[in-house]
Amino acid sequence: MSSITVFSAQTILTMDPSRPRATHVAVRDGRILAVGGADCADQWGEVTHDDSLKDTVLMPGFVEGHAHMMAGAMWTFAYAGYHDRIDPDGKLHKGMTDIEAVVARLSAQAAALPPGAPLIGWGFDPIFLSSERLNRHHLDRIAADRPVAIMFSNFHLMCVNSAALAMAGYGRDTNAEGVVKGADGEPTGELQEMAAMFPVMRRVGMDFRGLSQTASSIRAYADVCRLAGVTTVTDLFSTMEEEDLGTALAATGADDFCLRIVPALGAIGGSPDEIAAKARRLAARATDKLRLGAVKLMTDGSIQGWTARVKWPGYVGGQPNGIWNTPPETIFALCEAMQREGIQMHIHVNGDEASDVSLAALEAAARKHPWPDARHVLQHCQMMGPDQFRRAAALGACTNIFANHIWYFGDQHVALTIGEDRASRMDAVRSALDEGVRVAIHSDAPVTPMAPLFTAWAAVNRRTMSGRCLGPEQRITVEEALRLITLGAAYTLKLDAEIGSIETGKRADFAILGADPTMVDPAHLKDVPVLGTVFGGRLNLS
Amino acid sequence: MTPLPMTVISGYLGAGKTTLVNRLLAEDHGLRLMILVNDFGAINIDADLLQSRTEDTIALQNGCVCCTMGADLFMALGDALDRRPRPDHLVVEASGVADPASIARAAIAEPEMSYAGIVTLVDGLNAPGLLADDLIAAQVGQQISAADLVLVTKTDRIDPGLGGHFARLKARGPRVLDDGPLAPLLFGTIPLPKGPQPAAHPAYAAWSHESARQVSRAALVDKLSARPEGLYRLKGFVLTDDGGCEVQVVGRYVEARRAETDRTRLVGLGPADRVSRDQIEAWWSA
Ligand SMILES: [Zn+2]
Repeated sequence: MSSITVFSAQTILTMDPSRPRATHVAVRDGRILAVGGADCADQWGEVTHDDSLKDTVLMPGFVEGHAHMMAGAMWTFAYAGYHDRIDPDGKLHKGMTDIEAVVARLSAQAAALPPGAPLIGWGFDPIFLSSERLNRHHLDRIAADRPVAIMFSNFHLMCVNSAALAMAGYGRDTNAEGVVKGADGEPTGELQEMAAMFPVMRRVGMDFRGLSQTASSIRAYADVCRLAGVTTVTDLFSTMEEEDLGTALAATGADDFCLRIVPALGAIGGSPDEIAAKARRLAARATDKLRLGAVKLMTDGSIQGWTARVKWPGYVGGQPNGIWNTPPETIFALCEAMQREGIQMHIHVNGDEASDVSLAALEAAARKHPWPDARHVLQHCQMMGPDQFRRAAALGACTNIFANHIWYFGDQHVALTIGEDRASRMDAVRSALDEGVRVAIHSDAPVTPMAPLFTAWAAVNRRTMSGRCLGPEQRITVEEALRLITLGAAYTLKLDAEIGSIETGKRADFAILGADPTMVDPAHLKDVPVLGTVFGGRLNLS
Repeated sequence: MTPLPMTVISGYLGAGKTTLVNRLLAEDHGLRLMILVNDFGAINIDADLLQSRTEDTIALQNGCVCCTMGADLFMALGDALDRRPRPDHLVVEASGVADPASIARAAIAEPEMSYAGIVTLVDGLNAPGLLADDLIAAQVGQQISAADLVLVTKTDRIDPGLGGHFARLKARGPRVLDDGPLAPLLFGTIPLPKGPQPAAHPAYAAWSHESARQVSRAALVDKLSARPEGLYRLKGFVLTDDGGCEVQVVGRYVEARRAETDRTRLVGLGPADRVSRDQIEAWWSA
């Protein structure tokens, strides 16, 4: 007979309404056998007590319902961003708040590279810097004898040094849109959009998206998750081909791989029926730790890039409405095919016109092919108001709301994109809960760092970087927020019967915390230490 | 290595992009085309033309290949450039909502590629409705505005309503797609003159010029901007008072860069219903 381990903790926050708190949890065969006091499993036979977590607080392992595998592999390249970030090894990288700091940090990294090897950076975000624009002269100071290329956090811009410009043949005579030139007629080093960035990227080997399918990037993703207390994570727009599956199955199948990944296949590159067939083929190969089968639909762009499709009155700066990455009629066709085939969809919707069209597509599909518990998930939902939440609730569709945006981009939304009034009701978690929709909240890592407690803090406090509270009426309580990062997100992945709470029968996946998040000042919720995870009963400490 | 020319085929859903791709693969142009498509859905290759087929590549007996581009168009462009032997011409089928200019610009920026035009297909029956639909009009209109050549499908005449949209969008040379060969226009398969006039299909007006006459560099710039609208392609070398110059025109795109040459040698081509050889000659000799 298998052995029984009883873990003790200072407190266990279970998310189980029948027993909200406990001090002990018994584990057998990777699953929760009993929850309660020290004797909770005594009925089941001989137990081993493990008191190594007795001073910690346990919660259900956090569930990140919208993130990307790239969040781990990004760290192959040098971080150049404004905010503090923690790498997969747990090392803190202080944010660089001016260009001199970027130059200093990257110079040190360049010095450690082999001669001639390119230095590639990521995460630079000029909207937070008021100084002059980054240009090749700054980057020439990082290194003159090797190419230096820094991708901006929006992935639409980069800046490169003189050596990289020379590799791509860019100079005075270059007359290509996107290769920015200065008053002296020479390229400044700034390159705008893929067509202009591509010649440099292919020459310096800068390939962010191709990083996702290797074993080491899958392991780096698991490290990022452990540091955040996450035991189940999504990879929302997987480009996994059947030939990549072997690598993913081997990497996730290792006993010491302590993470469950839920990839959603990007719905492109075929007719709706072909995409559905591919999703089904992948689903047939799913394992406990690699839950294949869902698909991800793109619809519009981003609000801060003015590419989201927004309803009247549009953008405050008079920018034209955004763009569809999938035409509305294809959104309808995909929704119908996936609904008919019983395939769950995650649908990217930033602007309120994109969520409107997607809801209409889901409504049309539901009339043709009734599927009461389809649980399609609208992702981001940044401009949805009570009217759209009511439609989602009626459909049984879930909303996974981009709460982190309030902190990272809230001030920009007020000043530059949709203005004070609509920004204060963005990412309206309160309204969603009040209208009875199933809700989760997310980071979209690596767009913002993965840290469910930070995401919960953002939804609870709605602070922006300037320190104001943006839309106080949309705040939620700490208890509600903790539920959204556990059982709420598990529901959106159709895993709520297996994970998301600490109750008998579920998988023994826990987040190990250094304090009780319900006891700290809500303003400090994000600062509760994450010490590691337990995955299937296995200790996975940071 | 000579730069790889790239043509972008653009157009909204149902405009006939795949039909055009099928035609280009089957046409007798003698080029080894590489065509990047979104999916193989409606690609159909005669069994006797087919050489091999895998999940993401169809190879033809005539040396052409058709590949799906997966999630990342630019990664596929990089693969095309790394392919050996390198294809003679790259054709990219843009997605139904893509801005073709955002793709075609890569051919201008990338030293190993050359710009070979944006062809936008327009469904002559559905387009007026799309161009009146607030949800999608801007993106469909942008595809038309960005094109070097607008080809209208599914009809044999452009109705006045659509013509009005074309005028508003400054559509370049809109014409109904007929059955004539497309390679001369799209791929510029007519060689530079070495003696006799090049022969062309009667659907096209071809013009060539060779001389030792020198023009002023400023006059060349003015002349190029005053070219007949129906002159779709112009390529070759021009002797100027400021040295030799290599000229390439594709639709609205004009490129002139320094190059060694001892004579002026040019070849021009346009649809015969849009321009005549005499018009081109009159323009150049004016
Ligand atoms: Zn995302």
